[in-house]
Amino acid sequence: MRRGQLKDRNTLAFDLRNSAWVIWRPVLAWAEFFGRANARRPFWPLPAARPIGRVMVALTLTLTVTACSTPKQKPHPLTGDPIVDGENAIAHGPERDQVLWQYRTALAAMRRGQYDLAKRYLDDAIARISNIYGKDPSARKARGYFQTEAKKTFIGEPYERAMAYFYRGVLYWMDGEPDNARACFRSGQVMDSDTEDKTYSGDYILFDFLDGYITQRLGGDGADAIKRAQASSKMWRPPEFSPKANVMVFVDYGPGPKKYATGQYAEQLRFSGGKSPVVSARVKADEQTGKAVPYDDLYFQATTRGGRVMDHVLGNKAVFKRTTDTAGTAALLTGAIMAGASHNQNAQLAGAALAGAGLITKIFSAAATPEADIRMWDNLPLYLSFVAFELAPGPHTLTVEFIDGQDRVVAGQTRTVPFTVADDSRDTVLYVSDHSVTPPPPPPESPTTPTSPTTSTPTSTPTPTPPTSATP
Amino acid sequence: MKRNSLLKSLSLTLAAAGLTALLSGCASSGVKNPSGVPVTEMKADERGFVTGTGVESQDLVAVTDKMARGILGLSQIANATTPPRVALDPVINETRFPINKDIFLTRIRTQLNSKSQGKVIFLARERMATLEKEREMKRAGQVTSTTDPTRQEFKGADYFITGKLQGLTTKTKAGTSDYVLYSFQLIDVRTSEIVWEDSAEMKKQGLEDAAYR
Repeated sequence: MRRGQLKDRNTLAFDLRNSAWVIWRPVLAWAEFFGRANARRPFWPLPAARPIGRVMVALTLTLTVTACSTPKQKPHPLTGDPIVDGENAIAHGPERDQVLWQYRTALAAMRRGQYDLAKRYLDDAIARISNIYGKDPSARKARGYFQTEAKKTFIGEPYERAMAYFYRGVLYWMDGEPDNARACFRSGQVMDSDTEDKTYSGDYILFDFLDGYITQRLGGDGADAIKRAQASSKMWRPPEFSPKANVMVFVDYGPGPKKYATGQYAEQLRFSGGKSPVVSARVKADEQTGKAVPYDDLYFQATTRGGRVMDHVLGNKAVFKRTTDTAGTAALLTGAIMAGASHNQNAQLAGAALAGAGLITKIFSAAATPEADIRMWDNLPLYLSFVAFELAPGPHTLTVEFIDGQDRVVAGQTRTVPFTVADDSRDTVLYVSDHSVTPPPPPPESPTTPTSPTTSTPTSTPTPTPPTSATP
Repeated sequence: MKRNSLLKSLSLTLAAAGLTALLSGCASSGVKNPSGVPVTEMKADERGFVTGTGVESQDLVAVTDKMARGILGLSQIANATTPPRVALDPVINETRFPINKDIFLTRIRTQLNSKSQGKVIFLARERMATLEKEREMKRAGQVTSTTDPTRQEFKGADYFITGKLQGLTTKTKAGTSDYVLYSFQLIDVRTSEIVWEDSAEMKKQGLEDAAYR
């Protein structure tokens, strides 16, 4: 056999058990070509020796076409404590999941009354999600054919980002900064502003209502924001809480929306959920009672946002994967048949090259990753609610009973929170969830002078929104 | 032999070309501005694209420098026979950005204190609780005093400095745009007259990567 000439078909890998040789033959033939070129031109940058040149080019092509797997980080062992696990994940987990764990840990901390911890994590998360403009290497990779969407830094879907601002707003109000709380509620509403159908743009009832309510309490005119809230309300219309109310109670309940992927290659992001055993709550503060009805529904918010730009990118990836898979299969089979059936060396060469190209195309298809990112803030609630009371300074007890669809109190879910109303102008803000871990009531104290009974001020009652003809 | 070598070269070249095409392919075809747009600062009346559209440190510096210069140039300050006493009234935040409101007035105060050469005297109203406690201790004889602690020596303010931050936000498929108006006033405590007022405005726009939209 002459130098550089391909071996005959008996040596070629017509046998599919040796199909690897079909892959390598075109690669090595190219390497051989470079090797011969190198022999003619000593200044060619590749090493002079043909075998070494062949191997180097083959190695280069191997690295180019095959996925390079980096050693995966070992997940930190879970302890079962959501805050410990969350802090471990934040400290040791991949950077792209930082914001996700900050969200989760912050909410878990709020439900335990660890508000300083929640503030810290929400501030870090909000600092990240409010500076996502411009070039982002991880996002660019996520848009590529061969990287999953989950490679990008998690910042959450709009409903998740809105909730980060919502909870931070609650915490600002707890700290006596209602204007910063209002700023957060406004930012949360902005997160919901870019929906596909503008009917559902910026339609969080509570965000608009609290914007207007706080503005009124600060001496401004919040009527426009309150009107927007009432116009957007689908289930319940917030009542006119007294501007003298000094105890604000935020209540949330139900299981939040869950993400899943569907489609041939799991490239379509979908949401499940929207059902809850708890449909409202009864909030009692001493002698006063308020109804914490569901003003906002996070499943509704998640599903009415509409399509994402990233859905289009994932769709393209899925088309690429499908097309290259089909083309690769066709080329591989055709090439193998050509190489095996023909006695002509040129045809064998062409067949081998075609089969090789087909196999490489199949490798690309296998490497393409159109899967949608289904990382989610999974401890979010389904429903958001709010009640306000006017109470005298001093110690009080808040009781929250969660109600099911038959208007019965859900057993084992009632939460009791002792609190004290300060005698200054600062509002007392409380947060209770059906997932809260409330502190046990303080031990009984020695008998004290009985205080004068609190006047039972009639609490404003939320009104159900009249049914509309179009239900989303 | 030449033909064989030519055929071989041709098929290998075609394979290489296909490889290159596949490697350089992008799934973002059909997506406008897939890589997002970087940050630049812009004038309030100029359209553009920006990132980090909120209140940032360079805004604070620019705004407070401008306000401090304005106050120093005021005739009531520059030509006063006795330095006027100024108290700070908290800035009101009406934007969508939660901010440290105190930082604006703190910076204006430090700029004036360092550049006014004593022409303006600020009152430490945020320390009143500590100061009153100290005075009570002196009156009770718990600590010594170089002056008569029963005398009322806390000064009243001649002026208040206060401010307001207001914003306008637009968010569409083209990006997010935020406009913030920073306005500050010097108010005569005795007459309620606004003796000085100035403002600064910032407008920023940005578009996030397609992966986040």
